[in-house]
Amino acid sequence: MDAAVFWILAVLAVVSGVWVFRFDSMARATFSLLTSLLCVGGLVILLGLDYLGIVIVLMMTIEMAIMAVFMVMYMMNPAGLMPMTMMHNKKGAAVVCGLVFALLAAGILLAPWPARRGKAPADPTMELGMSLMGPQMLTMMTLGLALFATIVATVVLATRRGRYDRLGDDLRARRADDPVRGGVGQ
Amino acid sequence: MAERTPLWAVFVLPALLVAVALVTAGVDAVLAAGARTGRPASLREVAVRAAGPGREVLRQLVQQPRRTRASDVPLARIGAALLPVAAVLAAVVLPLGFRSVSDLPDGIVWFNAMEALAWAAVWLAGWGPNSTLSLIGGYRFLAQGLAYELPHMLAITTAALGAESLRVGEVVDAQAGLWFAVWMPAAFGIYLLSAMAMAFWGPFDQPAGQDVAGGAAAELSGADRVLFLGGRWLLLVVAAAFSVPLFLGGGHGPLLPGWAWTVLKTAAVLAFLVWARRRIPTLRMERYLELAWVVLTPLAIAQALVVAVVVLNR
Amino acid sequence: MVLGDREAEESDWVENLWHAIPAPKARVEVTDPDRTADALDRGLTELAHGQLRGPAETSDHDHGAAAGHGEQPEADEHAEHGGHEADGDHGGHDMHTGHETHDEHDGHDMHRAHDGHDMHGGDEAHGDHDMHGGHDPHGGHHGHAGHDMGGLVDGLPMADRADDRDGLRLDRLHVPLGPALADWPAGLILRMALQGDVVQEVTVETVAVPPSPRPPSWGFRAFWDEPWLRTAAGERVSKGDAARRLCAAHLDSLGRFFAVAGWADMAARTRYVRDRALAGADAAELTPLVRPLIRRAGRSWTLRRLTTGLGVLRTGQARHAGVTGPALVADGDAHSRMLMWLDAVGRSAAACDETETLDLDGAEAIGPRGRVDGPVPPSQALLDVLPGLLEGTEFACARIIVASLDPDPDELAHVPAAGMLHG
Repeated sequence: MDAAVFWILAVLAVVSGVWVFRFDSMARATFSLLTSLLCVGGLVILLGLDYLGIVIVLMMTIEMAIMAVFMVMYMMNPAGLMPMTMMHNKKGAAVVCGLVFALLAAGILLAPWPARRGKAPADPTMELGMSLMGPQMLTMMTLGLALFATIVATVVLATRRGRYDRLGDDLRARRADDPVRGGVGQ
Repeated sequence: MAERTPLWAVFVLPALLVAVALVTAGVDAVLAAGARTGRPASLREVAVRAAGPGREVLRQLVQQPRRTRASDVPLARIGAALLPVAAVLAAVVLPLGFRSVSDLPDGIVWFNAMEALAWAAVWLAGWGPNSTLSLIGGYRFLAQGLAYELPHMLAITTAALGAESLRVGEVVDAQAGLWFAVWMPAAFGIYLLSAMAMAFWGPFDQPAGQDVAGGAAAELSGADRVLFLGGRWLLLVVAAAFSVPLFLGGGHGPLLPGWAWTVLKTAAVLAFLVWARRRIPTLRMERYLELAWVVLTPLAIAQALVVAVVVLNR
Repeated sequence: MVLGDREAEESDWVENLWHAIPAPKARVEVTDPDRTADALDRGLTELAHGQLRGPAETSDHDHGAAAGHGEQPEADEHAEHGGHEADGDHGGHDMHTGHETHDEHDGHDMHRAHDGHDMHGGDEAHGDHDMHGGHDPHGGHHGHAGHDMGGLVDGLPMADRADDRDGLRLDRLHVPLGPALADWPAGLILRMALQGDVVQEVTVETVAVPPSPRPPSWGFRAFWDEPWLRTAAGERVSKGDAARRLCAAHLDSLGRFFAVAGWADMAARTRYVRDRALAGADAAELTPLVRPLIRRAGRSWTLRRLTTGLGVLRTGQARHAGVTGPALVADGDAHSRMLMWLDAVGRSAAACDETETLDLDGAEAIGPRGRVDGPVPPSQALLDVLPGLLEGTEFACARIIVASLDPDPDELAHVPAAGMLHG
């Protein structure tokens, strides 16, 4: 049963991964990629890591849906509506792909994989949480803050309008002068 | 919790959901007709009105399908079909009384992940027909998703935090005494808002809004339309029903058996949502987003903090 | 159902609309006001018996029109009226090219009053999206993405690009809105350049009205302005009739406004009260119907939150553009214009029994949308201010702004007689 599910998901993941580059529509390519990632999520669940697998499904769905919008928005191709191809720089890409594949395959075949010691924990989610949030707590907190600071900084750098544009030179305007008004009315 | 759920439950679940959705849609149709012309004259009229959604389903199925030019039919079909599938999959962790089809150890995350599939579904259905209005509808749902998802995730995390488990069954067990809705009112309120938002229904119906002639559903016809709009009702029912194990004590209650309490509470939540829809015009996301991020998200975080402190001192 | 002249029926957009409506469908042509009831009954019979007329193929038509499937209240209305409850084919599909006042078919006199309306987009369907950007996945390879711009894909024009309001160079799509769109001033066409759902440019058009061949005694008068136009022309009109028409006109506008704002219940109720007003309900019946509406809409905190700041039109700007009606007095945004309407509805509902003659007495004849005896029809002024208000707004806001001004393209068709120019 598990083997059958594994092969179905694995083949589906690879095939839809290939189709990302075969489709000539941005929307289809994006959602083909999503299919591939969802299959990977399924494979992770199959490994017994329920939480990680489900989170992959959750994150990837939201991420790819948002990404579809951005791909359509920023493509040179107007609105992503024109038939297009995902292939660029075919020769260089082929060489890079071949090398990476060879490297990874060699790694898999040559690495001395350790044999399993002990048995799988009863609640892998709990173990995952403990190992991430226990000894690595400081790292996680620092990482979280750094990521958040990056997001804020990027937005601040990217926006064209600063607070003086919004609230006037003395920052005293009662209502911010925005192109679109928000609901809180600040 | 220990008993295994029989296999037939897998087939009963969708049928049950469809039945509840039809009843809810019927009640909604009666209220909508009542809002137009006042009280219905006779019981028969009420019945005719309540059967409206069912008739509409049949009519769609026999109607001539339409197709727009240069449309991406497979994508639109996938989008329309994905919506009910996501709703039913999310319902797998819903306990009726104290038994669900599958009480996954990460049930709450599972529910969230399945509900997020609706993001992809609505966008696909909006994109597929190659029509401006439906595309606007599809985009709107993503904007709506960004607005509601953040407070929503924090709200359901708060419930999990209160029970110290991601398993829906244990969340119910933790409410044997005090319901979470009582000591996490902010999280419960936010959850009710996001329940309507994830089903893009009622005050959150902008993705399928009247001003874009049905939005993401504008160009769907026939079976696609039935699946999409039916999937929306299923999603609403599932989202409303999920608030019962999360915040309203699941099957816990005096006298009646567990399943009866679940049904009663779900009906109450649905009735509240249907009522709320009558009172409030459509919330536009460019206004709601600010509310969601500036007010609701900090509120949800504060609520989670309170719960965390209580749980640590228990 | 197509009301009006041959020219209107044969124009392209009506044909397109007809193609876009899925079968089963029936097309009824009403050319004689006295036989409206017969024509409608015939249409229902046709639907019931499934005798399809007109071209049957609709697959792969070239515009993405959507008929507002039976969700519209009209579907039920038809079924009840026609007394047949067939599952598959009740009247949600006849093409409403009529004004929205035709929701209920018991008021046939209303149809007569509508004779002057040559062409109206109905409230059941929208059409004429002939400018979709195509994304045909089966089209040929066009080399690298982005090297073919502004071409045609599958016969549909592509999007081009322009700077958006934040200075990003993004795609834009040219989309015509109207003439037939749900809750839209019938006959109005806005050609929009959209970036995503942000309106970038707008040009206003209306469906071309052919010179009316009708005898002058029928008059070509905008329905909602009729009492004031007749008074200005020297006919006798009672104050009550004028108040009734004003009340119904504003309720009609409010119905569209609520529908676009996504408040289906209020929209349905408002339209019901409008139909009662037009059907001749007296003040004692209308006042209790109108009062809860005014209270609910006026007090709604969410509606205020959602519509303030949309389409702000200050008095000075409005006067400069020649706006004369409630939009001038409101001196503000969509919400304040709605409050003006509510206020006027309340007052006129109470006054619709007065029998004295409406006497302008040198004063201006102010109709529901403004001064009807001025040099230009009031709706023309509203249309003139529209593009300025719409640019840079989001699609939903644009719809609300249009609904809050609610120009009536009928008024444009009314050419004031020479003597009336100076009122």
